[in-house]
Amino acid sequence: MRTVRDVAAPSDLPALSRVVTPEAVKAYADAGGDQNPLHQDEAFARAAGFPGIIAHGMFTMGHLAACLSKWAGGPERIRCLTAQFRAPVFMGEEIVAGGRVKAVDTERGVAVIECWVTVERDGKTEWPIKRGEAEVLLDP
Amino acid sequence: MNPAAAGKTYPATTFTVDPQRVAAFREIFEESEGVPATFVTVAEFAIMPQIVADQELGLDFSHVLHGNQEYEFRRPLQESETLQVRCRLGSIRALGRNALLVLVTELFEPGGEIVCTARSTLIERAAD
Repeated sequence: MRTVRDVAAPSDLPALSRVVTPEAVKAYADAGGDQNPLHQDEAFARAAGFPGIIAHGMFTMGHLAACLSKWAGGPERIRCLTAQFRAPVFMGEEIVAGGRVKAVDTERGVAVIECWVTVERDGKTEWPIKRGEAEVLLDP
Repeated sequence: MNPAAAGKTYPATTFTVDPQRVAAFREIFEESEGVPATFVTVAEFAIMPQIVADQELGLDFSHVLHGNQEYEFRRPLQESETLQVRCRLGSIRALGRNALLVLVTELFEPGGEIVCTARSTLIERAAD
């Protein structure tokens, strides 16, 4: 477990990447309960104005939470997590979650983290999640 | 959507932190232990049929995108525990031709102690 003494601010969390597949998104729809056809039905997604099906925002946020959890030493360490969904994620794309410790609150024993998820598309960095915020519990 | 529905609270329902679904979340997100933080979305979706069926609100779920999500935990969820979940319509406002709905979902212990508060902003896109 990380302690308030061994976490520096600012410092970067290790990035965590994964490729988004239709199989993982379908598994997520079944586990999470969001069966919106936008995430499973190509024709529906095209009619809605997208070039193909898109991942759930919560799929991308789940990946961000996993990045935080791995750094923190378990999901139970995450006390707050906020994400704004800024860009869609398409099948086959690689999403990269990252974060930076902005402050360590020694009184409350938490690391305050800015976090995000990026994807490289057509030579440009897109931000499916930008300026996310988390508070992660540290040991004294 | 009907802005006058803001503030409405839906009846609480029971929610069990199902170990099989927790295991599915862990597998999808490659987490080795515990209940993934975003598992709370399962509780939010458990209550969603009530909201989608609410004619007073008139949400068109087929045109919904997820705009923003917040989770605040008083303590972590425990596998297999049974909690209560209640939801209220925090706010409803227009944004251009679209409409924004903030849902506030609370998971609480049978005694009333809050475990987690979730705030979800849904964007209802205007029909073409």
